[in-house]
Amino acid sequence: MASLGRFIRLTVGACAFLLVIAASVPCNAQQVNPTASSVKEQQLLQELNRIQGRVSIPDQRSGVLEQPAGRDWREFRNVTLRWIGGITIIGMIAVLVIFYLTRGMVRLESGRSGRTIVRFSAFERFVHWMTATCFIVLAISGLNITFGRPLLLPLVGFEAFSEWSQWAKYAHNYLSFPFTIGVALIFLMWIAGNIPNKVDVDWLKRGGGIVGHDHPPAYRFNAGQKAIYWIVVIGGGAVAVTGYELMFPFYLSGIEGMQLAQIVHSIVAVLFIAAMLGHIYIGTIGMEGAFDAMGTGDVDLNWAKEHHSLWVEEEQAKGHAPSGGTSRPVAAE
Amino acid sequence: MARMKFLCDADRCIECNACVTACKNEHEVPWGINRRRVVTINDGKPGERSVSMACMHCTDAPCAAVCPVNCFYTTADGVVLHSKDLCIGCGYCFYACPFGAPQYPKVGNFGSRGKMDKCTFCAGGPEADGSREEYEKYGANRLAEGKLPLCAEMCSTKSLLAGDGEIIAQIYKERVMKRGYGSGAWGWKTAYRETIES
Amino acid sequence: MKAFVAALLFAAIAAVGMSILLNIIQEPSSVAFTTSGARVGDPGNNLVGPNG
Repeated sequence: MASLGRFIRLTVGACAFLLVIAASVPCNAQQVNPTASSVKEQQLLQELNRIQGRVSIPDQRSGVLEQPAGRDWREFRNVTLRWIGGITIIGMIAVLVIFYLTRGMVRLESGRSGRTIVRFSAFERFVHWMTATCFIVLAISGLNITFGRPLLLPLVGFEAFSEWSQWAKYAHNYLSFPFTIGVALIFLMWIAGNIPNKVDVDWLKRGGGIVGHDHPPAYRFNAGQKAIYWIVVIGGGAVAVTGYELMFPFYLSGIEGMQLAQIVHSIVAVLFIAAMLGHIYIGTIGMEGAFDAMGTGDVDLNWAKEHHSLWVEEEQAKGHAPSGGTSRPVAAE
Repeated sequence: MARMKFLCDADRCIECNACVTACKNEHEVPWGINRRRVVTINDGKPGERSVSMACMHCTDAPCAAVCPVNCFYTTADGVVLHSKDLCIGCGYCFYACPFGAPQYPKVGNFGSRGKMDKCTFCAGGPEADGSREEYEKYGANRLAEGKLPLCAEMCSTKSLLAGDGEIIAQIYKERVMKRGYGSGAWGWKTAYRETIES
Repeated sequence: MKAFVAALLFAAIAAVGMSILLNIIQEPSSVAFTTSGARVGDPGNNLVGPNG
């Protein structure tokens, strides 16, 4: 019938209409996550402690998205290093001051004889002073990087401190070259005399004569000097290698390598400075007659006999030194 | 007071590099300096993800902490800026920065690499706002004009958001709720020590 | 004394010499990161100053 057909058309049309409405409503219960299999930040950080990807920039270092190790490095550099450096350097200065006030200068007990023996040649002194003066500048400019901001900046203000730091940094970078040459020459020049032997063991057992009036025998370099030699060669080598790595960033390593290089460079450097303070002390005010060795190159024969008796015997046998028995004190002129 | 932050919605980033182009154009950034970059993880594989990264303007910025000459400063908005006049170009800020934001005009030869440059949140530098000197040294200062960084403004999918931290965190949370997924605010834990619950 | 002065002189000359050498071989980023696909003319001096 016509009215039934109209009724059916109406019902079907209404249902279709309702179906279209229902289908167009977003269905919250079935949301799809298109990035479900993609990496997550915390997952990558836990696995590798860095997040890295591909970049279209030629500078491939920019591919590192996140390296939280930078924060650990900051903690080392601002806190740990300052403690280590402060304690070793100030500690060494304190030890030297106390030692000088109690023991005093190690005197030449038999007095000056007035006769000398050649200890270091002109070339040896040249190498030593080149390395030493470069070391002083490198030490000061290096300490400025670590301690300048808390200690010096408040005193001189921002502009002056930046200007000074800029020049200190250039000095540090460029004087590293003659310093490295000096360390290499020191290594070659004096390796023969700095191999440890039994005499050194004996010298050490007797404390090097640093307290009391003992004069343990020694060859050209005693055990204390050999220690300084190896500290200079090994420490100097370490700061040179890490220093050049820092100076040419990312030529050899990524960012973790650079952070490690800075850590090694700074720790070795502050220990090196502490050791050299001891060396400078003993070579200047710590021992009478010691400075002559590097100053003029000729040392008093009595000084040589007291502190390096075996070396004097060797030199006398070679005819390089005035022969003579026990020394007699002579009034200083 | 607003606390300015960046948020890159890594689920929306399509690696179009519009943010990079906008930054380069706005500040006339020379070739070789990359204030903003897009990093793609697992490129070409299922699970590929792209993130746009520049300076995050961290709370307790590590770059500022390690600088030997203390050339950084944080504005009242939380934007981390620095002075190129004081910078000695030593490179320590790059070692400390978790995000690789500092850039240098030259390569090699530590300390002669020129003054450090980085994203400024389009907030210029210590020179007078909007001055020629400021533009030549630090780029445009949009914040002084009341505008937000151009990278976020130009983002084609609105994946990169920049502005007050509370507001953009809210926007991100609403997005995540609406679509049902979100990989989190990349870099926020490292930079701001907070996460956005999603 | 002569050895000391000679040492200072040599150190200074070595330092200055290396600074000149290293400055010659140093490259601006725009040169270092140019690739065959990117033809870079003068990248301008904005942000990096006249020496950048």
